[in-house]
Amino acid sequence: MIRLENVTKVYDGGVVAVKDIDIDVNKGEFIFLVGPSGSGKSTLIRLIMREEPPTNGDVWVAGKHASSLPSWKVPHLRRSIGTVFQDFKLLPTKTVYENVAFAMEVTGKNQAIIRSQVPQVLKLVGLSAKADRYPRQLSGGEQQRVSVARAFVNRPLILLADEPTGNLDPGTSVGIMRILDRINRTGTTVVMATHDHAIVDAMRRRVVELDRGRVVRDEARGVYETAQQQPMTTTAPPVAITPSPDVDEAPQEPVTVPDSTGEVPVIGEGNE
Amino acid sequence: MTRINYVLREAFTNIGRNTLVVLGAILAVFISLTLTFGTLVFGEVVRVNTIQWAEDVRVIAFVRDEVTPQAIADLTTEVQSWSEVKDVFFVSKADALVEARSLFVNQPAVLRVINENPDIVPASLRIQPEDPKEYRTIVVRLEGTPGLERVQSAGPAIDAMIALRDGLRIMFWLLAVALGVAAVALIANTIHMAIYARREEIEIMRLVGASNWFVRTPFLLEGAFEGLVGGILAVAFIIVAQQMAVDRLTDLPEWINLGVKNDFLIERGALVLLFGMFAGLIGSSLSLAVHRYLRT
Repeated sequence: MIRLENVTKVYDGGVVAVKDIDIDVNKGEFIFLVGPSGSGKSTLIRLIMREEPPTNGDVWVAGKHASSLPSWKVPHLRRSIGTVFQDFKLLPTKTVYENVAFAMEVTGKNQAIIRSQVPQVLKLVGLSAKADRYPRQLSGGEQQRVSVARAFVNRPLILLADEPTGNLDPGTSVGIMRILDRINRTGTTVVMATHDHAIVDAMRRRVVELDRGRVVRDEARGVYETAQQQPMTTTAPPVAITPSPDVDEAPQEPVTVPDSTGEVPVIGEGNE
Repeated sequence: MTRINYVLREAFTNIGRNTLVVLGAILAVFISLTLTFGTLVFGEVVRVNTIQWAEDVRVIAFVRDEVTPQAIADLTTEVQSWSEVKDVFFVSKADALVEARSLFVNQPAVLRVINENPDIVPASLRIQPEDPKEYRTIVVRLEGTPGLERVQSAGPAIDAMIALRDGLRIMFWLLAVALGVAAVALIANTIHMAIYARREEIEIMRLVGASNWFVRTPFLLEGAFEGLVGGILAVAFIIVAQQMAVDRLTDLPEWINLGVKNDFLIERGALVLLFGMFAGLIGSSLSLAVHRYLRT
């Protein structure tokens, strides 16, 4: 579904964002991109959605050679990709319903389809009752659910999420992850860049860890376990360490233990 | 259908949002096109009034009806051989009648006389002097030639009118071009502001895969609309002004005719409207081309 081969991205000014990346994502997979800020997670997301082309290497997305796609064909590629961002990107002048419908309107769906699809998706994210609210009247978690609904309403093959829980508290994040998991189980490939240890550890899905633009780990049922807690070290061995101080939950033992507390836990409702 | 509605709706919401800037752009188009169209109409008035004097003809020798074609041919050859004459051509009675009808198109009384009695319009020899200002000698040499009814020369009024037209024409065109550029720039600016105001929306549209034309068409339409409105105002203004001139300036010498054929007004007016729309399209395209929110 997504294949990155030998991908390097150098930004203007010589900043190397990612280097020699090889990742192959199958249809229906759920994959976490983890790593410290500036490790290249967002760049990968941008390369996959063809926000920009790679400096080197090939990117295939949904059967298309995205890296060589002429810009006028990009809109077509985007229709097979849903995107969710940390800052929601909702239109403040439109209601929840209109925000979701917007994604269908601008791709030319007719009103009958819009009227049948939008309520379904709002139901999926649990916002049927708030369809007529404006984004400012919603909590952060609710706004992100609108954003997820918008990303999914056109039934994309791929859902890209760049730190979707970055602005949310842990409890709310769990709600978003439930929805993403449900979407994944409809066959949609999900790629999620995140800093959220608890979520990654709880979900136990494929984890690709990036460090300074390189893939340092690609594990089928991985946990977060990065080396970033030791900011002094330069070379980071992918070994288990203590939990990071920025996780405000009860201190955990090194490595793993997804359901040690009552709240984080078992997001996929028995998907394992 | 949804998409067409959407595109139209978007094009007009911005006009409502940015009324002042939009008005500025429309005003610039209006002034520029008023000058353009005004120049065209004024040029046409001068052309109609000097139709006999076109192409530097300065002397007209009216030929008596009874003169034979052979005699006319001989006379033409002779006049042609004079050193102060550049060219001579013969206008038959039939051609002269057609010319008279267009010359007096807005003077029904004269037209009626001509139509009732087409024979009164004489054939003539039209003479271009080597130097347009030196036609006195030709007039003198022609006078008394047998077979000629009357010799008429352009006179200072015609010279002044043509000189005025040529002078104004250059100035008006320069002004019109300068203001035309300003109009395009102002339209580009309104579109620029419209794009900026809607950058979030555009970002999301591109995110969910709206096609380029779908994102851009509302802005193109808006620019074209602004240009068109400016053009309509300009055409209306000139037509009204011209009509008022015809109605008010009644004490002009009789031979000056301010009327312009409707065909001319419609044809050139439509061109001016098209031109306004085109200027709007160029303005908005410029804006779209440079805008970073629209780059892929």
